[in-house]
Amino acid sequence: MAKKANIKKDKVKKIVIDKSKSIIDAPSGMFSDKINEPFAHEMIVSKDRSENLTPKQRKRKWKSMANYFSANSLWMLMYCTGCCAIELPQAMTSRYDMERLGMGPMATPRQADILLITGYLSLKTLRRLIYTYEQMSEPKYVVGFGPCTLNGGIYHDSHAVINQLDQYVPIDLYIAGCMPKPEAVMNGFQDLIDLIEVGEATGWKDYHARYEWYKQNQKEALGEVMIHDEFHE
Amino acid sequence: MTITITDFLVAFGVAFCGWALQTSVSGITRKTVARMQKRYGPKWYQNFRDIFKLLNKRAITHGWVYDFGVIMALAGIIGTAMFTPVANIVVFKGYDNFFVFVYLFAVGMLGMAMSASGSGNPLASIGVMRALTQMVGYEVPFMVIVLALIHVRDTSSISALVDIQQASGWNLVVMPIGTIVGFICLMGMLGKKPFDTYIAPAELASGPMVEYGGKQLGMLMIMHEIATFVEISLFVNLFLGGGSNILEFLVKYFIVYTLASYVSNVLGRFKIDQVVTFYYKIPILLALIQAGMLVIFGWGV
Amino acid sequence: MMNSTNRPGMNEMVNELKARFNVEEVTFVQDHEAHVDLHRKDLHEALTYMKQNGFRQLSAVTCIDWPNEKIFQLIFNIYDWSKGNRFIFRVKIDREEAMFTTITNIYGGAKYYEREVHEFFGVVFEGNDSALKQLFLEQWDDLPPLRKDFDSRAYSDRKYVKREYKTSFGEKGGEPFERN
Repeated sequence: MAKKANIKKDKVKKIVIDKSKSIIDAPSGMFSDKINEPFAHEMIVSKDRSENLTPKQRKRKWKSMANYFSANSLWMLMYCTGCCAIELPQAMTSRYDMERLGMGPMATPRQADILLITGYLSLKTLRRLIYTYEQMSEPKYVVGFGPCTLNGGIYHDSHAVINQLDQYVPIDLYIAGCMPKPEAVMNGFQDLIDLIEVGEATGWKDYHARYEWYKQNQKEALGEVMIHDEFHE
Repeated sequence: MTITITDFLVAFGVAFCGWALQTSVSGITRKTVARMQKRYGPKWYQNFRDIFKLLNKRAITHGWVYDFGVIMALAGIIGTAMFTPVANIVVFKGYDNFFVFVYLFAVGMLGMAMSASGSGNPLASIGVMRALTQMVGYEVPFMVIVLALIHVRDTSSISALVDIQQASGWNLVVMPIGTIVGFICLMGMLGKKPFDTYIAPAELASGPMVEYGGKQLGMLMIMHEIATFVEISLFVNLFLGGGSNILEFLVKYFIVYTLASYVSNVLGRFKIDQVVTFYYKIPILLALIQAGMLVIFGWGV
Repeated sequence: MMNSTNRPGMNEMVNELKARFNVEEVTFVQDHEAHVDLHRKDLHEALTYMKQNGFRQLSAVTCIDWPNEKIFQLIFNIYDWSKGNRFIFRVKIDREEAMFTTITNIYGGAKYYEREVHEFFGVVFEGNDSALKQLFLEQWDDLPPLRKDFDSRAYSDRKYVKREYKTSFGEKGGEPFERN
C-alpha cells in the first residue's frame, strides 16, 4: 500500500523550486536581484515534472547513470538543529519508511550525501553547520525545513537566529510547513530525488562558483567562521 | 600442479561472483528485515546502488597511508576470496588450506586498520582497537574447534574437509556444539549485533569508517561484502558440508547469512568488555568440551 | 500566595533565616517553595547556612532586569533532596555597576550559571575566573541581549540579511498571489 501511495508520483501534487527562476541559474559570479522576488513566486505547484522537461533534458535524464545512483542512494547526516527534527523519526521508521527511497541515516559528515537543516539556526549552530557542510564529500545536497531556514520564521527578530540560510550555504530544496508533516517530508525527499535525477540539484556547484560570496556573507553574520571555544582549544 | 592464467581468471571470477552474490543476498536480507519490521524496505539491489554511488562521489584523502591501506585491504580480501572453494569449484587445488585463509585474511584486516589509523581521527583508532580486541575474543574458541576438527580429520585442506563431509555426514551432525560455537564466532567475524561494538554508529560514529567518504568508502564496502562472502563460505564449508553443486551451496549460504542477520536484528549491542568476557566464558567452554569429545573420546568421528 | 505552610522544615527554616539574616520579605509560592528577599550582603552567609542544612543542590542562578527601578535582581534557586523543599533567594544589585561576589566557593556548579548571567545581562561576578569567558554567544558585539534596553529586532535587522517580499498584505494590497 505504501508503495502505491508514494511511487506513483505523477498523481501527487508537489511543491518544488522552479529552478528557472531561482538564483542558481544566474550567470556565474553574478548575484541577480531575483533573490528579492517573493518566495511565493519561486515556489510553483507543478502538476507533473516530466511534462516540464525538454527532450534534451529527458535524454540526459536517461543517460546520466551517475545522477541515478546519487539520487537513489541518499545517505543523510544525523544532524538536527531545530524543532522539525521531531518529524524525522516518523519518516525514518515503519510508518513512512524512508529506507524504501534508499535513504538512511549516517553517522559522520564524510559518509553523508544530504544535510537536513531541520529548523532555526543560531549563530553558534551555523558555525558548526558550515564546518559540517564543508566536510561532506561531493556531490552533496542541502534540504531546508520549515520557514525558519527561509526567512527566519517565528524567530525573525531574534538576536541569535539567522534569517536566510541560503545566504550562507546553498539550499537545494525547501520543505514547507511549521513543522512539515512526515508526508511533506517524504514528498520533499521524493522531489529532491527527482531534482537530482535530472541534474538540477546543483547547490554544491554553486558553492564552488560563488565561494567568495558565501564566505563574505558568513563573515558578515558570524564575525569569524572559526570556532573558538574551550572544547576546541 | 601448475597454475595457468585461466586459473587466475577463474579465481577472479569467484571473487567477483562472491561480491555480487553477497551484495544481492544482503539486499534481500534488508528487504526481509524491513518486512519483519512492517516496513516496505529498499529494493533488493539497493546495496549495488550504494556502492556505485560511493564510487561516483569525489574522494578526499588524508595522506598516502590512508589511500594505500584501503587498496591493501581490498586486495587482501580479493586474494582471500580467490582461494575460497565454492561447491566443486576449487581453483587452486592443494592451496585451499585453512591456514592460508587465516593469514590472507589478516592482510585485509591489517590494511583496513592501517588506513583507519592513518586518517588521524581518534574515533577510528578506538574502533580499530576494539575490532582487534574483538578478534582476540572470537579467534580463540573458533581456533579450538577448527584445530580439533583438523586433528581428527587429519587434513587442513578445506576442499578435503568438504569431501569427507560429503562422504560421512556433515560436521553439523558430527559436532553440533562445535557448530553452535562456530556460528557465534561467525557473528563476531561479521560484526553483526550484538558484536558490532567496533562500529557502534551512535557511540563511535561508525568506528574505523569515521573518516571515509566517497570512493574509499565504496571500496571498503566492496571489501566488506567480499569479506562476508569469505567468512560465510568458510562456515558453510567447515560445518555444513559445502555443496555438491552450486545450488546446494547457495541455499546453505543464503540460510546462514539470513539467520545471522535475523539474530542480529533482535539483539542489542554488547560493550567491548562484555564481548570479550562472553567469548571467554561460554563459547570457549563449549569449544573445549566439543574438542574433548572429538579428540579424546572420538565421539561422532 | 501563602504566608505560612505546614510542610515540615519550611517554617523552621524561614524562622531561622529571619533570626539570623536581614530578610526583607518571605512569600510562600507553594507549600514546599518559598521566595526569600535578602539584603545582598547576607546572601553568601545565608547560602552557606542553607547548604549546611540540607540544601545541597543549586538548581539555577539567573537574573531579572528592572530598568525603571535601575536594579538587577539576582535569583538563586536551591533545593533540598531529603525533604523536597525549595528556596529561592533574591537579591537586588545596582544596574549601573552590575557587580556581585561569586558563589562558586559555596556551590561549585555556579561557575557556568554565572558565566551565563554575565553573558546575557552583563553582571560581573568577582572571584569567578572564567566569568568573563564566552559561553553561548560567540563573539558578541553589542549590549548583553537579555537586558530590557536591548532591541533584538533592530539588532537582527542590522546584522542578518532579510528576505524581501514584493507582495505586501497591507491595506493597499500587493501583487496578486498566483498559484498555477
